[in-house]
Amino acid sequence: MTSVIANEAKAGNGKKDKEPTSDRSRSENRLALKLVALPLALMLLVTAFPMLRALYLSLFTYSLTAPDDRKFIGIDNYVTALTDGLFWRDTLVTVIIMIVTVAFELVIGFAFAMVMHKVIFARGVIRTSILIPYGVITVVSGFAWQFAFSNTNGFVNDWLPFIGTDFNWFAERNSSLIAIMASEIWKTTPFMSLLLLAGLAQVSEDMLEAAKVDGATWWQRLYKVILPNMRAAIMVAVLFRALDAYRIFDNIFVMTAGANGTESISFLTYRQVIEQFQLGIGSALSVLLFLSVLVVAFIIVKLFKVNLADARQEG
Amino acid sequence: MPRTLTGLKNNIGTVIGCALILIWCLLPVAWIISLSFKSQESVTNGSPGFFPSGGGGAGWSNYADVLQDDQFRRSIINSIGISLIATILSVTLATLAAYAIARLEFKGKKFVLTTALVIAMFPVVSLVGPLFDMWRTIGIYDTWLGLIIPYMSFTLPLAIWTLSAFFREIPWEMEQAAQVDGATSWQAFRKVIVPLAAPGVFTAAILTFFFAWNDFVFGISLTSTENARPIPAALSFFVGADPFNRPASLLAAGAVVATIPIVVLVLFFQRKIVAGLTAGAVKG
Amino acid sequence: MTRRPARRTSRSTRATVGLAAAALSMSVLAACGGGGGKPTLNWYINPDGQDTLNALAKSCSTDDYTIKIQLLPSSATDQRTQLARRLAAKDTSTDLMSLDPVFVPEFANANWLLPFEGELADQVLDDDVLKGAGETVTWEDKVVAAPQWANTQVLWYRKSLAQAAGLDMTQPVTWDQVIDAAADNDGTVGVQANKYEAYVVWINSLIQGAGGNILDPKTVEDGRDAKVTIDSKAGEDAAAVIEKLAKSGATQPDFTTSNEGTSLGRMFPESGAGEFMTNWTFVYKNYEGLIGKPGGPKDEAELGDLGFARYPQTVQGEESKPPIGGIDIGVGAYSKHPELAQQAAVCVTSAQAQTDLAVNEGLMPSRQSVYGSDELKEAYPAELLTLWSESVDSGGPRPKSAFYSQVSSAIQSRWHSPTSVGPSTPARSAAFLEAVLSGKALL
Repeated sequence: MTSVIANEAKAGNGKKDKEPTSDRSRSENRLALKLVALPLALMLLVTAFPMLRALYLSLFTYSLTAPDDRKFIGIDNYVTALTDGLFWRDTLVTVIIMIVTVAFELVIGFAFAMVMHKVIFARGVIRTSILIPYGVITVVSGFAWQFAFSNTNGFVNDWLPFIGTDFNWFAERNSSLIAIMASEIWKTTPFMSLLLLAGLAQVSEDMLEAAKVDGATWWQRLYKVILPNMRAAIMVAVLFRALDAYRIFDNIFVMTAGANGTESISFLTYRQVIEQFQLGIGSALSVLLFLSVLVVAFIIVKLFKVNLADARQEG
Repeated sequence: MPRTLTGLKNNIGTVIGCALILIWCLLPVAWIISLSFKSQESVTNGSPGFFPSGGGGAGWSNYADVLQDDQFRRSIINSIGISLIATILSVTLATLAAYAIARLEFKGKKFVLTTALVIAMFPVVSLVGPLFDMWRTIGIYDTWLGLIIPYMSFTLPLAIWTLSAFFREIPWEMEQAAQVDGATSWQAFRKVIVPLAAPGVFTAAILTFFFAWNDFVFGISLTSTENARPIPAALSFFVGADPFNRPASLLAAGAVVATIPIVVLVLFFQRKIVAGLTAGAVKG
Repeated sequence: MTRRPARRTSRSTRATVGLAAAALSMSVLAACGGGGGKPTLNWYINPDGQDTLNALAKSCSTDDYTIKIQLLPSSATDQRTQLARRLAAKDTSTDLMSLDPVFVPEFANANWLLPFEGELADQVLDDDVLKGAGETVTWEDKVVAAPQWANTQVLWYRKSLAQAAGLDMTQPVTWDQVIDAAADNDGTVGVQANKYEAYVVWINSLIQGAGGNILDPKTVEDGRDAKVTIDSKAGEDAAAVIEKLAKSGATQPDFTTSNEGTSLGRMFPESGAGEFMTNWTFVYKNYEGLIGKPGGPKDEAELGDLGFARYPQTVQGEESKPPIGGIDIGVGAYSKHPELAQQAAVCVTSAQAQTDLAVNEGLMPSRQSVYGSDELKEAYPAELLTLWSESVDSGGPRPKSAFYSQVSSAIQSRWHSPTSVGPSTPARSAAFLEAVLSGKALL
């Protein structure tokens, strides 16, 4: 992360002096600090401060409905959470959702991007429609798909062969997860395809023509020219989408409320804090959730060697 | 975006691709609209299938019911008000910060950008507990302000990044050139910089608005009445004539109503949104 | 889940509401008096019987205060969350609230409810209040809420189906008999087995029907230190019933996601013999309003085929413990107008108010005397009224714990899906429940 930001700073440096010693640079420094102070304070007020408070509360057993019983217990809440099968089950569900949805979104989103890249006619219509799922409220998307999969009022059972009209998608885990992921994938694929479209636009036509002249097949051009050249765009898209998917909450809340083991780690945390009012263990989970997001981000950045400086340029 | 001749050659593939995209994007929307015309009675008794059938149509009655619902009407006002205020404030602040980041040299730039990046990745659910606790202590729980503040915090990173990407592309020398040509600095700013910066500001505003409009976690956690409850939360708590099951068709009507502002925004500003989402790349 | 009579009958109901409101205002205005300015009292209601409750809010408003209705979400869990959040924020605008009885101990334990004292306490909890309902409003020897209406479940069934199975419904029947009768005669059994509160209602009644309890009633008020007694013979008997139904041919397709509404449509299906269904009191008005409509009986004659009997026994010969639900009215501890709010609470739980709720909305009274009123006798068959009041009086409450919502979630988590329930379920859920109560496990 640091190196990324270092690049970032360098990118901005360009024409400026390296050492702000002159009066001009000092006053520039002051002006800039004034400009960023308020936004920075706001961002920290809503994130850093509550996070520190969560860190503090996580060391207590503390229920909002029995405030007098608050007791300091050290790291017991963390031990409880980390030794609990539910925590790991929900983490697994979350990771599965993340991997499956991002994989589908990447493939479909790439296909869409290719089509949009090539389409000449009706460009406005296509681009307008692709923005609609992106703009639709996640909760609405969740409802739409829940009702679509419903065996009393939906159409999916009607339309899919090999599936009885009475089949209850929300009766067990795998089929429930399919419904949840359908909603998630539907809504976010357009976003993915727009990010990829931006990357696609950077692949040089000359190189493609040259490859064609050399007799490369479509697949070869895809693998040898297009994909390598938009690697950065793909990685940035994957990073952002994966972190988003890891935090999945709305769809699960609306569609299953976590029944049949479809609970995500966000949903688990929400239930402890907001439904059960267990601020102690809930805060511990909040901290763990935050840490696990950092871990996921770190893994993706390391695994795919994402350079976030590229994100600045392309995402 | 370069227009290519290769596009023509793959015409058929492209047409099929376009058709698939349209189906993908519009089928679920069509489904929700179709569902909103099923009668509540037929939904209670089960009416599978895409279209209302067998006299199970409801005409506009679901829409009438939804719009007569006091809570839902309040939630529309809340959502519009909260989202607009959060958008305006967030974009204003982000514009200042992005200007500083794109144009000025200062210590702490790294810190601002890192903070923004980390916050963009922040799991919102892990904040609602402590926030709820803080808000109730200082008394802004279940108020517009109580939602506007977190919305601003979470849209600032996005807005700052988008705007600073845009601002970096602006040829600021032109401002000086204009001044040399005899324009006052205000004129130079207004005639040269504002038109160049406007699309970026605009994009950031739309993205911010989408975020605020879409938010659910804060909406259900930091409100408890129609004082401040936004549309997504109101929809999830919707109560219909059949108290055991979600009033599917009524909800669908509510969902359509909630989606109309988004569709209007998209229709009007499609070009700008696409440009914003692909910002940076556009510079070519 | 103690709630939700369907308001599908609302068209016919609405006409009567106006009249009811007029009658109500005359009968109860006198009861609600006082002095002072003209403050507004907020009354948070759950969505059951909105029409009548709105009329009630009007008629119980006096020269001293105006009652304003605020609507809560439809699920009991969401209602609790919304109210608790307001009260945790020490909200001064929460004056009156409709509470599911199971959440009264939790709210009272957190000191969120203003107890009724002296004369007021005697008014809201006198000898006329049915035992099952009265038990739900006391906490640590204080009256912390006023019972407004009481709900209970009975066994609804098609007489023709019972007859075909040769089941003598004049005698108490067991779950075993009901499941077999349905399975062998092309019928189904309707229950509530989605992962939600009403599933716990079912489990609790099954366990109590076998003479057991989820938590030991002697220690249940000790909160986290309550003794877990679900791992018992009674727990196993309860699990056996669920397992038997899950494995029988009598389940409905949405068994694992079923709620109070899903099985309504299977009583009078287009084809098939109908069902046995355990469900709340609203069912009667529901079908009465659906004569000739989809999902309802074809005609009066078919409505006559709708039978009702006492909640089935878990164990042959042991008296069943029908579920208890309903609504209690609590007064917010931080209310700006506590005296007025308590007066209003007395008003909205008066005998006349209960009569209106029963007649218009199918929400049954918590007072014995109201069952004998002429209005009710006109609206319901006499034997049904008797069945209901007996059921409420002898019903089994869910554990009266300040940690009830955790208890309930823990049970749901180990007993759902109902298709996974077996002989080891009670033991597994006992271990989990203990861990949850002592803060050693996540929910």
